[in-house]
Amino acid sequence: MDGGGRIHARVVSHTGAEHRRLANKVMEEVLEQANLPFDEISYIIATGYGRMNVPFADRQITELSCHTKGVVSLYPNVRIAIDIGGQDAKGLKISDGKLIDFVMNDKCAAGTGRFLEVIASALGLKVEDLGSISLKSTNKVNISSTCTVFAQQEVISRLSEGAPLEDIVAGLHDAIASRVVKMVKRLKVEPDVVFTGGVAKNVGMVKTMKDNLGCEVSVPEDPLLTGAIGAAILGKEITLKAMAKGEFIPRKERRLEEVTFFK
Amino acid sequence: MTDEKKKAMNRLQTMYPLRALIDEMYKRSVEAGKAGKPTAWCMVNWWEGDPIVKAMGMETVYPENYGAACAATGAAQAYLDRSDSDGFPTHMCGYARNCIGYTARMMELGEIPPEAPMGGMTKPMLLVGAGTLCDARYKWFQVLGRYLDAPVWMLEIPHPGVREFMMEGVSEHNIKFIVEELREFVTFLERLVGRKMDWDKLEEITDDIIAINRLWFEINELRKVRPCPMHSRDFWTCMNASLYPSGDLKVSLDLYRKMYDEVKSRVDNKIGSVADEKYRLVFAELPPWHSLRFFDQLAERGWNFVIESWAYHPPKPIDLSKVSDPLERIARHTYQWLTGYFENAFNAGEYWGYFAYPYLEYAKDYKCDGAFLHPLLTCRTATNHLMLVHDRLMKKLNVPSLVVEGDIVDLKLFDPVDAMRKAETFEEIMDHYKKVRREKGFDW
Amino acid sequence: MSVKNRNKGLTRVREIYQDRSCRVKELKAEGKKVMGYFCIYSVLEMMTALDLVPYRILGDIREPITKADACLPTVVCPFVRSCLDLALKGKYDFLDGVVFGHVCDVGEKTAHIWNIYLNPPYFHFIDTPHTVHKAAVGQHKELLKEFKKTLEAFTEKKITAVGLKKAIKAHNQQRALVRELYELRKPDPPLISGIEALQVMVALVSLPVEEGNELLEQVISEVKQRKDGPQKKPVRLLVWGSIIDDTSLIEMIERLDANLVMDDTCVGSRAYWSGVELTKDPLDGLAYRYLVQLKCPRTFREVTFGETKKDYMADLEGRFGYLRDYAKEWNAKGVILQSVRYCDIHGYEVPGVKDYLDHVGLPNIYIEHSYTEAALAPLRTRVQAFLETLG
Repeated sequence: MDGGGRIHARVVSHTGAEHRRLANKVMEEVLEQANLPFDEISYIIATGYGRMNVPFADRQITELSCHTKGVVSLYPNVRIAIDIGGQDAKGLKISDGKLIDFVMNDKCAAGTGRFLEVIASALGLKVEDLGSISLKSTNKVNISSTCTVFAQQEVISRLSEGAPLEDIVAGLHDAIASRVVKMVKRLKVEPDVVFTGGVAKNVGMVKTMKDNLGCEVSVPEDPLLTGAIGAAILGKEITLKAMAKGEFIPRKERRLEEVTFFK
Repeated sequence: MTDEKKKAMNRLQTMYPLRALIDEMYKRSVEAGKAGKPTAWCMVNWWEGDPIVKAMGMETVYPENYGAACAATGAAQAYLDRSDSDGFPTHMCGYARNCIGYTARMMELGEIPPEAPMGGMTKPMLLVGAGTLCDARYKWFQVLGRYLDAPVWMLEIPHPGVREFMMEGVSEHNIKFIVEELREFVTFLERLVGRKMDWDKLEEITDDIIAINRLWFEINELRKVRPCPMHSRDFWTCMNASLYPSGDLKVSLDLYRKMYDEVKSRVDNKIGSVADEKYRLVFAELPPWHSLRFFDQLAERGWNFVIESWAYHPPKPIDLSKVSDPLERIARHTYQWLTGYFENAFNAGEYWGYFAYPYLEYAKDYKCDGAFLHPLLTCRTATNHLMLVHDRLMKKLNVPSLVVEGDIVDLKLFDPVDAMRKAETFEEIMDHYKKVRREKGFDW
Repeated sequence: MSVKNRNKGLTRVREIYQDRSCRVKELKAEGKKVMGYFCIYSVLEMMTALDLVPYRILGDIREPITKADACLPTVVCPFVRSCLDLALKGKYDFLDGVVFGHVCDVGEKTAHIWNIYLNPPYFHFIDTPHTVHKAAVGQHKELLKEFKKTLEAFTEKKITAVGLKKAIKAHNQQRALVRELYELRKPDPPLISGIEALQVMVALVSLPVEEGNELLEQVISEVKQRKDGPQKKPVRLLVWGSIIDDTSLIEMIERLDANLVMDDTCVGSRAYWSGVELTKDPLDGLAYRYLVQLKCPRTFREVTFGETKKDYMADLEGRFGYLRDYAKEWNAKGVILQSVRYCDIHGYEVPGVKDYLDHVGLPNIYIEHSYTEAALAPLRTRVQAFLETLG
């Protein structure tokens, strides 16, 4: 992102097991896309679970603050942001563009993208197809198990009883949405509501979130990037503020080289 | 099958009118609310506060019972969700969460929620909390202040340790403390309700409650014989006349008299509550209210539940005739409920005298072949003692235990199919220990 | 009595924190008797008066709980389970006896379970009342008389009024010294970190009172003169809630760019914030202080006794007003509310405390943890995000 807020490059990649190596790889890719050398980057902020594993970052800021910044830049009137990722779900309460409260589920897979992955695998389907399948449902099945593992069993037995696939898939979407919405309700939901994270790309999830929340929900063009956008904005703000004051920009000594840690 | 399958469990006829008392309790409270009469929400306080509140003319209703009712009818989930979203921890007592959610909704609507089961609980003028056995039961009423403008009175009862109880002078100062507090409670209620205590009425109510409990105790003594004439299901249904002393106590007394006659008649004619009594069981602690039919299935296998739930039982009777002060009679009666087994516990070298030790006497006196222990996810109070009970029953009496988990409001946690499977295996274990006890010289 | 060549001040504190029972084991070898207790409701002065060394029973967040599962269900306070687990593993075998108060219902039940399974040479249960009514204070005094009887029978000595007053003075002195130490957390940056303060508190409950007082004096003097104190951080915090007996939670917070300057927890300030009044019959002062003046949510308080109209905000102000005062005096900009999972006593309080803090404009966050080291990682993100909202 440049000083005017324009995004020059974006990369989304699977995390895998080695955060540090990946951070390097992603950085190299995005520099190539933007056609910029590493030394010309003014400030780097790392966020998310792996934020402690980005050796060349100048600062780590939580994904909660970064998502807030990112979502507000895209939807200035946002009051509630809901992020459902592969392994967690978050609810953010925002007022005047600032984060004032939040809730997180990072303990249990049942309200996260992981749930969809497990079930997709059990059903022999692709995760990307689940959303459109669920939209075909006319009579969703109620999945009562609170645990992902037990839900898997429940799904298999409902299938063998003859329940239509789309109804089961719709029921699964509903199960995730109701869990997440229950958690988010602790923040007292009011519009505008924005839905981000990998799971927001699923059209079935968007629908069921609306149903469970009882209100409209906006989804950004690329729901996986709001955290990174927010981090970039924060970095920009820090840099511009320092420049305006004529101050030295606090940066870490950086090197973009392969981490020797695991060799 | 054209013939109606003969039911394995033989319920008491006198159970039915007793069961109906609960519905009448909720109705009365709602009507009192509509008529502008003073009403109170009470924790089960084991007759420490009930006679006083009743004598002041207040209608009472018990949110703990309401939690069970909401769970059984499926209405609890919405209230639990509301409690969770208002920031209360999810591990809290399910009844508390249910009540908090119910109260929040009632106050928001400005009236009893239309979907509330049993006609709901009317907005109270007073919350009578009790710290007896469990902290949740005063903290919960304290937090209701967030939604409800009603004062909370905290009833206290001493919980001495067994050894401390046996020390000279201890029970005396404990009783004195309870009485002093009850006197303050009377003064407080007089100010709240705006009239003086009717001491004659209090005397009458106190004596009625003591009489009800004495009779209820005698009925349960009749269950010691073989075959046992009354199943735990009847106990749990009929205990409400004792534990929730609402309405006309003379009616309750009369119903218990009729019940005594019926049970006595069964004893005389050797009629059991289960068609073919093969196993006699003791149950601890709170039953799975929503899945009581599970016991009917066990009855088909010859399982008779002959004694249960120490906390719900009336006190071992004591002579209170020479105690002239009704407040002192109340104090001694409730204290006796809590500490009635302590002396025996002390002599047996058992230092948890309430909740845990009584089961040793139960298993022996009621000749139990096994214990059915039911740990609950959100009720620590009714679960804490179960491991000790398991251990002591085996070590001291060679009585085995079956452990089946559940919860007071999360009904999914009790799986009757799984429990049945465990029960079938448990029969072999009970058979084995019958032999072991015989060899060791026990008389059952 | 100090021994020559022994370490002093914060070095000694760290030594004791790492190996809590080191000193009492030495004292035992010299013939002293050591009395274990949970929580802050066991009356220390009465033990000190008979030359017994009170020793607070704490858990170990690094020790996996294995043996306690046979006695207590897993859905109860993990701190209490940890304490019982350590005892069942023999870690508390050096205690000559235990004294438990009716601190909370799990604590009360565990007291009886402890008695049954561990069979200590001396056991006493003080059934501490739950309200602060006048009758309850009177009852508490009677309970302390019972305690006196069994202590005297066990030690074969009498507690004299003179001896008891001397003990009260010594423990009051410790309380005053702790408050003096806490004053040193008021400057910006504080002269002593949250981690160090907790280590001092843990050391104090592992020593006889006079040795603790001596150690405190050394620490206070050292801290006043130090040049290597904590660094100034952008945010100053107050922490409230259930027992914190290990520095790992505090370390997690302080590493996130915050100074923990004040606490309302029981190993921390709650045990030291009020002294015992020296009444003619010392048991009166003890009965009053140990019931009415100790601030823990296990005690039921009404704003006005017998008041028939309930006013939620007035009730909250009565129960939590002191938190606002702490935040003001120690200049804390935010409050971390924490409790262990399954703690009903603190769990029920949380919405009320939050309402109060929101009402007085103190930013706050609630974190629930399971009293294990592993539980801290997800909490770090929450606390960091909270600090970012303050920044």
